[in-house]
Amino acid sequence: MSHDHGNILPSYMKVFYALCAFTVLTVAAAKWMHFPPEWGTPGDVLHVAIGIVIAVMKVIMVMYVFMHLKFDHPMLRFFVYVPVFLFFVMSFALNFLEKWTYTR
Amino acid sequence: MSSALNLSHEPVTKVKHGKVAMWAFLASELMFFSGFFGTFIVLRNSNYATFGEGSAHLSWILALVNTFILIGSSLTMAMSIYHLERHNTKLFRLFMGLTIMGGFGFLIVKYFEYSAKWHDGLFPGQEHHTVFFSFYFLMTGFHAMHVIGGMIPMAYMFFKSYTKNGYPHPGKVETLGLYWHFVDLMWIFIFPALYLMIPYAAGGAHH
Repeated sequence: MSHDHGNILPSYMKVFYALCAFTVLTVAAAKWMHFPPEWGTPGDVLHVAIGIVIAVMKVIMVMYVFMHLKFDHPMLRFFVYVPVFLFFVMSFALNFLEKWTYTR
Repeated sequence: MSSALNLSHEPVTKVKHGKVAMWAFLASELMFFSGFFGTFIVLRNSNYATFGEGSAHLSWILALVNTFILIGSSLTMAMSIYHLERHNTKLFRLFMGLTIMGGFGFLIVKYFEYSAKWHDGLFPGQEHHTVFFSFYFLMTGFHAMHVIGGMIPMAYMFFKSYTKNGYPHPGKVETLGLYWHFVDLMWIFIFPALYLMIPYAAGGAHH
């Protein structure tokens, strides 16, 4: 059975525009957001963190609206949250803990 | 009469078995890509100069074009499912066709990227190859294979819709759509990781 989610087209378009805007924001943050060079490692960490946070927001939008997680059974959402959560934890942990290990 | 085990085609949760299976597959795919990302992050943090130099060598503009292509194809895939559910075969074909073309567009841009790397001697085994480019080809190569892997069943569904009694089942197309959106999701991480996050120590954010 395929679920009928009503007229979801406006939501699709909103997500599409938001994804485009966040993509531009990702490039802008990476290319033109300057932190003082003396910040060193924390500057790089902040830079990476901004990139990851924007990516996470994009992922949530795609999963909820395009992948219909918003309309599916809550059990399925839990099933999805676990690997996604582990992925984000790994990204953050490796980025920040490993970085300090190597830069000390 | 009650049964202890429900094996019917209508699950209690109203979530199709195929859909649950696809989510399970995507979860395993996420773990597969996690290995790449984890190793990439650790090596990046211990080889700032090499990764910075390699990343600066990539064309972020081509990657940005590919990002917009994938986002667009995600939208057209979602719209094709929407119209299929409403038995609008014409619009289903239109949006499915656009999604397949998006996949082709992505691969064409990738071809130009790879050929530039070939000419610059950055391919594995060539003189300017570094560990960064090992990751570049590994991650983008596997991702491109996923794109091809999605395009094949999409083309099947598309052409099947032209055959007699070949109307694709909306549930099956929706399941395929999950896979295609996942391909988009992975690119959302690959794009900044490889093309944009040039380490500060290597002059990142000052180019």
